[in-house]
Amino acid sequence: MATAASGHDLRPSYRAAALTALAVLGLYVVTLAPTTAMWDASEYITAAYTLGIPHPPGNPLFVLLGRVASLLPFGGVAYRVNLLAAVCSALSAGIWFLVAERVLAQWLALRWVRVVGAGLAAVLSATAFTVWNQSVVNEKVYTVSLAFFAVVSWLTVLWCDDPDGRRADRILVLVAYLIGLGYTNHPAGFLVAPAVATAVIVRRPRTILRWRLIASGALALVLGLTPFAFEPIRAAHHPALNEGEPTGCTDRIGVACTFSDTTVRRLMANINREQYGKPNLAERQAPFSAQLGMWWLYFKWQWLRDPYGTQRPLQSMLAFMFLGLGVAGGVVHWRRDRASFWFFGPLVFTVTFALVYYMNFKYGASQAPELAGVEREVRDRDYFYLWSYSAWSVWAALGLVALWRLAAERMGQGARWSWTAPILLLGALPLVGNWRAASRAGEWATREWARDVLNSVEPYGVLITGGDNDTFPLWYAQEVEGVRRDVTVAVTSLLNTDWYARGLLRRPIERYDEAGGPAVYRGRRWPVPTRPIMSLTTAQLNAIPDYLDVREPQLFQQGEIRAVVDPRRLEFGVPLRSDILVLQMLKDNLGARPFYISRTTAGYAQSLGLERHALVQGLVTKIAPSPLAAGRDTVAVQGLGFIDAPRTLALWRQYGAPAAIVRRGEWVDRPSAGIPALYTSTALVLAQALEQQGRSPDAHRIREAGLDVAEAAHITDWFVGPEPIVPPPATGSDVRRGTPVPASP
Amino acid sequence: MSSSRALVLRAAAAVVIMIGYADLVRGGTVLAPLALVLGYLVVVPLSFLVE
Repeated sequence: MATAASGHDLRPSYRAAALTALAVLGLYVVTLAPTTAMWDASEYITAAYTLGIPHPPGNPLFVLLGRVASLLPFGGVAYRVNLLAAVCSALSAGIWFLVAERVLAQWLALRWVRVVGAGLAAVLSATAFTVWNQSVVNEKVYTVSLAFFAVVSWLTVLWCDDPDGRRADRILVLVAYLIGLGYTNHPAGFLVAPAVATAVIVRRPRTILRWRLIASGALALVLGLTPFAFEPIRAAHHPALNEGEPTGCTDRIGVACTFSDTTVRRLMANINREQYGKPNLAERQAPFSAQLGMWWLYFKWQWLRDPYGTQRPLQSMLAFMFLGLGVAGGVVHWRRDRASFWFFGPLVFTVTFALVYYMNFKYGASQAPELAGVEREVRDRDYFYLWSYSAWSVWAALGLVALWRLAAERMGQGARWSWTAPILLLGALPLVGNWRAASRAGEWATREWARDVLNSVEPYGVLITGGDNDTFPLWYAQEVEGVRRDVTVAVTSLLNTDWYARGLLRRPIERYDEAGGPAVYRGRRWPVPTRPIMSLTTAQLNAIPDYLDVREPQLFQQGEIRAVVDPRRLEFGVPLRSDILVLQMLKDNLGARPFYISRTTAGYAQSLGLERHALVQGLVTKIAPSPLAAGRDTVAVQGLGFIDAPRTLALWRQYGAPAAIVRRGEWVDRPSAGIPALYTSTALVLAQALEQQGRSPDAHRIREAGLDVAEAAHITDWFVGPEPIVPPPATGSDVRRGTPVPASP
Repeated sequence: MSSSRALVLRAAAAVVIMIGYADLVRGGTVLAPLALVLGYLVVVPLSFLVE
């Protein structure tokens, strides 16, 4: 029987850990998203379902796991992939139970007290806001990484127990393998390596001189990295999602093209995430103090998520309490179980301070809103610190147990554990306080948003989008649910890469399903396009530069369109590759395919000089082949331009997202609140157009419906009140818009 | 030295993973992920742990 120096029984309570993990899984299932969500959820679910390649580094292990999850025989595809996140986090909670119990076993004699303390660690780590919120939808691959961290943690704890035992070497080799394998899920997989190395060097330094063991570990690590082979093989089949296109094969897989220089170059560019071009670490994107401030902001979210800022004092108080409990727990860990501390302490340091330094973020999207003019991340990045908050929760639970023990001792006559147990209810505060914000149960808005946008586009239309939230949900709708596959979606942020346009050229023309489309398009003949989306060859596409160093207004002329493209109105002051390709697509499709620009792009049509051709139809702007003039259906609205009132009204009546947003009554993620804002502004503009047409009752109903959406999303103040705020663009993108251009000609 | 059980598991891991990649090359989207997940996440770790 395993015993500690204290004489306590060290046998892990595997059954209790398993039951705890099951309970956590139950919590996650109850609060699980039924479908997709904003940001990367749609991209990853689509990648899993199509066995495709998501954005660099491509996450091959996640794609394989996600694909297996998508094959489960119940629920919808998105639900099944979301379940993968829930299972990974529940597994992690079960393992944190074991780690916490091991520390407590070195300290406390009563087994039931240890089990309660360990359960507390599991519950706290599972209900910290970001962990919970990321575990109920597969928005990122980080819950899989968390599971790897937890498994490696437990294996290292076992190794620390007996570094000379017969199993010790095998455990170390397995840890090396899992670190490599974890890297193929996400590079964060390596974050656990410094902690393992510290534990090995402190606990048994001679280990690093055993060259046979080191060589075995290195081989195992390399074996763990081999799932990257998935990328070039699968990419050669050109799945619907083939980001980075890490293959030299142009039409079919072959030995020569797979083992070509092109494949190696593209694969390495994917693995090294060259597309993102992060600056050197010495060039800080924000002061390090501000970057730590971002971590602290999200730390406060963990114990009470307060999305609308109504409980700030309570939130801060809880944050300081859990910070103090975590520090106390770290001290307990150091004093009572030094062996495992030498792993866990460095892990907390790595996923907190080292990660903050390494990620080198700009100011957070929600951080210090009073600071104007600072560069910000397009969204809140709390998910990058999910491991930090999860691990911190284990220490906070140890700190709470220390508090419990102190209170029990103060009772006198020995430790009255049961009398003072109510103090542990502090650990349930995140469960209660975060439930509403962390839960994604009943969240259908993103799926409906994707359908609404696609259905706003006439059959066989081309739709230009701008970033993540107006693109990824559309990929999901088209590739997973088969909605409006006739529409060609082209996102400007990716048009600046070399591979994306090649994929657009390859995309087959899908037949429009009239029965599944909106009623407004029925009963008309929609000619099927016969030509690819662009008239360029692959060689011509590859030859387009990242940008044109043109500073003077240029005339774009095609048919009746005469647009003056003024580079000063473009985001970077010069036409980027994406702008050139958008104009090329407009030129090639005028009269052949309806051409649209999503209204999420915040005036992109205007920046291309297309104001006189821009006609709002619901959530999108159609580029009309002829200059527009106000008429019976085309209404000129001040500050907007022209709106097709009957079409927008017909589409509005079919939109599903407004009802979904109102039913949910929450929009926790503030950086994406531009999506509900777009619905509200559409309703208000439509109401204005209807008023101009003398249809006051219809106008009133639409206006009220739009304001209901704003109220549900807690953005009413953006539209009404003494100083309405101009809604921010509805979308953002993690992909750089292009190569930095010179400041002067 | 590895036991015969560990060697058998390592051989099984190699076979399962090779089946996965062979199906992936063929364009398979069901057997390939199943075999690769089984190989990488179950059989290989077991082969390291077994005496």
